[in-house]
Amino acid sequence: MAGLADVFLAHRTALLRFLRARGAGTEAEDLVQDLWLKVEGRDGEDVADPLSYLYRMANNLMLDRYRSITRRERREQDWVDAGSGVMAEAADDRLADERMIAAQQLEAARAVLRDLGPRVELVFRRFRIEGVGQRTIARELGISLATVEKDLQKAYRAMIALRQRLDTE
Amino acid sequence: MNGARTMIEQEEALDWTIRTRDPDFRDWDAFTRWLEAAPGHAAAYDALMLADADLPALVPAEPLFAGTPANDRGAPASRWRWRWIGGGAIAAALVAALSIGMTNRADIYTVDTRPGEVRVIALDDGTRIEINGGSRLRLDHNDPRFAALDSGEASFTVTHDASDPFRVTVGDTVFEDAGTIFNIVRAGDATRIGVAEGEVIYNPDSDAISLPAGRALREDGRGLTIVSVAPESVASWRQGRLAYDNAPLADVTGDIARSLGIRIVGAPPLRFTGTILLDRDPQRFFARAAPLLGVTARHTRDGWILKERDGPQS
Repeated sequence: MAGLADVFLAHRTALLRFLRARGAGTEAEDLVQDLWLKVEGRDGEDVADPLSYLYRMANNLMLDRYRSITRRERREQDWVDAGSGVMAEAADDRLADERMIAAQQLEAARAVLRDLGPRVELVFRRFRIEGVGQRTIARELGISLATVEKDLQKAYRAMIALRQRLDTE
Repeated sequence: MNGARTMIEQEEALDWTIRTRDPDFRDWDAFTRWLEAAPGHAAAYDALMLADADLPALVPAEPLFAGTPANDRGAPASRWRWRWIGGGAIAAALVAALSIGMTNRADIYTVDTRPGEVRVIALDDGTRIEINGGSRLRLDHNDPRFAALDSGEASFTVTHDASDPFRVTVGDTVFEDAGTIFNIVRAGDATRIGVAEGEVIYNPDSDAISLPAGRALREDGRGLTIVSVAPESVASWRQGRLAYDNAPLADVTGDIARSLGIRIVGAPPLRFTGTILLDRDPQRFFARAAPLLGVTARHTRDGWILKERDGPQS
């Protein structure tokens, strides 16, 4: 079986194209290089589907990048808020608040999932919390793959809407 | 115009978020082509993946599918024995032959069993229902394919007819047979079903989850749990045995009380895996079963009081 490095070299152009499409822009070449360094470190590992594994690594690189940019923007915003006195709150109070908010969010999430019906809830938990693939879930529940897809779309829409609602509260 | 387009892109981005989240996702070429199709696609996908990353923190993590998924059926289910091993102390079996009426009007009647009493009902279509003690079942004189379990426990050995499936209603839930032996317990707001042979469909008109032999489902206020069970352990109360896999003790004590016709007070927050043998003599039963369950049992005027054992005994 071909090692990760061999597969990387054979598909370097395709991975570069993927990173560009993912929005890497002028940094795509640098990111491919980052990817190569990671691949070299793992070349000995036994990977079932090396090409898919490489794409996933590339995708994760982009997600990390997006996350750190978003976080930086948020921090800057917080700093501005703090400067205007909005964040003037004792640390203790904030901790207690956070705990209360977390409990409320849990309750809200439970209610949203319950409203979707037992199967949708089960499918969503299996997929997103326990990391089981859609094909396996379909087989476990004796339902079609299309049904699993529809359930997940329903659950995701509801959960993302909930998250947005919680964020703006 | 622009708004509609954004909506469609949003839907597509969600679709790709879910697809790429799947551990078995392979179609990276198609994903690349979608990303290249419009400059906004990558950003829409990133935003959704960021939201996706937060979802586990929002959702209480409760294992809802325990045990190994039964991809392959192991040894075929052993043959059912119909009687108590220890002899027919509670074989107050009632066999009622019911005729199918010519009218379509429902003619509901109720079958109640006292705690400790077992009844067997044979319907005209060949279906056989064994009702455990302390249970209430409703049947229809005019429709032998209808049953409703309001409380307690019953086992169904159904004569399958695809054109006219047998349905059991439990609270808001419907179970439909697909050639089947299955057992249902209804206690409080919790419903449990175990499938010994064939297949049962959970809520055929909405959820349509199929439960093959060796699968059990529990439904309560916290949602659905699906577990794998040994098919021969399903409805083992009929042979004087109760078998569990990581079951809450409250379920176990409920089953014992129903089967032995006794009152049990208190269920420590324990879980139980294993098989216990029923015994008509509660004293003798608890002498053997209490240590297995990790409790002490004391008989009082109010019934049997169960308490958690203090730590490991040396």
